[in-house]
Amino acid sequence: MSAFLAVEGLGVSYGPIAAVEGVAFSVERGEHLTLLGPSGCGKTTTLRAVAGLETPSAGRIVIDGAPVFDSVQGLNVPPEKRGLSMVFQSYAIWPHMSVFDNVGFAFRVRGIGRERARPAVERALALVDLAGFAERPASRLSGGQQQRVALARAIACDSKVMLLDEPLSNLDAQLRIAMRAELSELRRRLGMTSVYVTHDQEEAFALSDRIAVMRGGRIEQLGSPAEIYAEPRTRFVAGFLGMRNIIDAELRPLAGQGRYVEARLAGDIVLRARDPVADGNAPRAAAIGVRPVDIRLETAGDGITGVVARSLFLGDVAHYYVRSGPIEICVHDRPRPELSDGREVRWRVDPDRCLVLRE
Amino acid sequence: MRLRGGVSTETAVGAGLAVVVTWLVILPLAAVAIGAATDAGGLSARPFLDVLGSTRIIANTAIVGVGTTVFAVALGGALALALARIDTPGRALLSRLVTLPLYITPLLTAIAWAWLGSPRGGLINLLCRRLLGIDSLVNLETSGGVVFVAALAYVPLPFLLISAALRSMDPALEESARIHGASTFQSLRIVTLPLMLPAILGSALLVFVQAMGLFSVPAVLGMPSGFYVAGTEIYRSLNNFPPRLAQAAVWGLLLLTVTAGLTWLQTRFLRRHSYATVTGKAFRPRMLEIGWPRHLLAVFAAFYVAVAVVLPVATLLWAALVNFITVDPDLMEFGFKHFRYVLFEYPKTYLAMENSLILGVATATLGCALGLALSWSIVRRPGRLSAYLDQVSMFPLAMPSMVLALGLLWVYVRAKALPVYGTIAILLIAYLTHYLPIAVRAGSGALRQLHAELEDAARMTGATWSKTIRWITLPLTAPTLVATWSLLFILSVQEISSSILLYTSRTTVLSVAVFDLWEAGNVNALAALSVIQLAITFLVLLAFGRARPREVVA
Repeated sequence: MSAFLAVEGLGVSYGPIAAVEGVAFSVERGEHLTLLGPSGCGKTTTLRAVAGLETPSAGRIVIDGAPVFDSVQGLNVPPEKRGLSMVFQSYAIWPHMSVFDNVGFAFRVRGIGRERARPAVERALALVDLAGFAERPASRLSGGQQQRVALARAIACDSKVMLLDEPLSNLDAQLRIAMRAELSELRRRLGMTSVYVTHDQEEAFALSDRIAVMRGGRIEQLGSPAEIYAEPRTRFVAGFLGMRNIIDAELRPLAGQGRYVEARLAGDIVLRARDPVADGNAPRAAAIGVRPVDIRLETAGDGITGVVARSLFLGDVAHYYVRSGPIEICVHDRPRPELSDGREVRWRVDPDRCLVLRE
Repeated sequence: MRLRGGVSTETAVGAGLAVVVTWLVILPLAAVAIGAATDAGGLSARPFLDVLGSTRIIANTAIVGVGTTVFAVALGGALALALARIDTPGRALLSRLVTLPLYITPLLTAIAWAWLGSPRGGLINLLCRRLLGIDSLVNLETSGGVVFVAALAYVPLPFLLISAALRSMDPALEESARIHGASTFQSLRIVTLPLMLPAILGSALLVFVQAMGLFSVPAVLGMPSGFYVAGTEIYRSLNNFPPRLAQAAVWGLLLLTVTAGLTWLQTRFLRRHSYATVTGKAFRPRMLEIGWPRHLLAVFAAFYVAVAVVLPVATLLWAALVNFITVDPDLMEFGFKHFRYVLFEYPKTYLAMENSLILGVATATLGCALGLALSWSIVRRPGRLSAYLDQVSMFPLAMPSMVLALGLLWVYVRAKALPVYGTIAILLIAYLTHYLPIAVRAGSGALRQLHAELEDAARMTGATWSKTIRWITLPLTAPTLVATWSLLFILSVQEISSSILLYTSRTTVLSVAVFDLWEAGNVNALAALSVIQLAITFLVLLAFGRARPREVVA
């Protein structure tokens, strides 16, 4: 096993309720993995279990070849001995200490004097653009500055893996985008290994080598941002990543067509769809998903007949809602004056862009 | 689960705490029950029959318990409404003054009022006879007198709890009642009162438990006229020769059954009537503007302060300085001779003061440590163990301190392995147990306001559990701990109900010394000693000027 951080069969339960169940993933050295999901999906619990702040009920966690948790052997290394660092959602900047003392805490804990710690602390502060802030009381910092101090504190202790729990969620929209870019640059420069938790898909795409989408305490899909975006496997993942058109369908394999299947929607609409899972065993009843930009609208010719129910003009693009019998689809296109409300249209989807979604 | 490298510090601390609270709280409780059923070595129903036969004393205890509770809660609630929700002039100062009786023991208030209102030698009656020629205007050596003085002393508890609840109620709830057509009075009755019910009931129970087990006030105002209650009866059973320990224990068990039963009922009631609208969040309450009657409310609050604080303290001061008690101005001479006597001649003063100060410091320090440790386990590590810690550490709220003392007496007179009887250690155990709920509540309040991630961050940065507590938790909860420390110190220096049963000649404390002087009839020396006791209290209050009992009690 070559993974730098490996999590196997992780389970965390609060009494009879299982918050996390059967979670497994691994992170290579220098890799950035993101746990993505809505609130309550178990992503923060998973991260805290890796940190040692939560005691799992099952599973095994190995960091850099050394097991830190193993439910079978009864092994549970306390958080301070796991060699990790963490940035918290609330920043958790200690208000009774100066910026220096916050960032240099790891040195104080190890009994290293202020003067010996100074170069490392100042280097960390410089990395987050806070050089010269060392003697400032931590209680006198803005939200963005606190965020930087939290980051500097995590950098300064020179950890094996950095854990980040929704570190940008308390910042306002503009600052969040700026910090996102900075964070990504900083991680590249330091060559860190990190596990990042967020509910924001854009943040996940921008900051990850791989993404684990979580739901109900389990990992639903794990892959690179491009994979996850292009080929969501389930209805939940597709919906969470903004695939607007998710329609119930009955599937029938097409003989000799490999991964393509016939999808029958309500109102006897039939489309060709692609099954991203290679096993060729598409379920009978499932759903198909199409992104609004992947639907072609024409006023005549081949395709499924529909009527423009309403449209929304947004400048560069327009959203058209097209009704075909019992189903309604959303199409994003450049604004087209001829597509007025009530206009009859034809729509088509490239079978490669029409995905089979499992439950 | 087996842990490599031994048990973690947190787990060890949690288990240790469970042992400590069991030892402090459960052991004396069990001892009272066993003691009640054991007469002269064997099982016997005799003590039960004796006690249940004294219907007079049972009735007196009920009168004092219910009467004190009703008056204290009505008065405290009215003051809370007047000072927290109505535009009463001077309400900021008045709400501080109204809490002062917390720092004057009921014993001193009772003694001062006994001098003012006893039927024969009472100053009020003497003055009336001199000036108006009327005989016996007031008589406080009655059940009414006991209830009056006890209620005065306990008003701050309902005041603090109810005004805290009033402040944390969203004013929008009342405003929407007004907008939908309710008058000021109607919105108070229909919206505010039901929302205040948990606070009202909670403080009522708190006062009731204290009043049922009350010793000092009925001892001063009741015993002279033969008005006995359970508290004084327990004292008499143990002070007579031979001491009737079983009988005292039955009284204790009886009190405990009533208070514990009511506490259980209250918990059940609150489970159905707790409203999430009263949050921990502080709102800026909208002051009700009621026009000119607001001045009457200010007079009413000032009158309470005068009767409960100014008059008793002034009386004590006067008695400490005057040559002897008289209402004839020609005979009065003022000087420090009583202070000289108490400080330099009365043999018990130094011993009592030393013991009281040691006990005060020890109780406050250990109480804060224990309270913080317990509340940390309760708040940060919810689970079955912490539920046990939470419940058991709140038990003493339902235990009159005399009952607790009885249990301790029963255990430690026998326990040769732990020879604390006859030392101040047994008093320390009693105080720690009695004030445990205050310490735990203060700690939980502070910890709930401290984001757990501040501690997690220290663990993630390499600090062990104990370093995290020392470097992060302690400094950040320090303000609450200081306030709690000063409150525990003051309460310990004043404690009498359990001390009176547990002290020996070598381990006497200030309150007991005051009570001794009272029984000996040495009134001026008593006044001087109690002025010294009050001075210590107020010095501590001044030293910790910013420490607010409000947060700790409520």
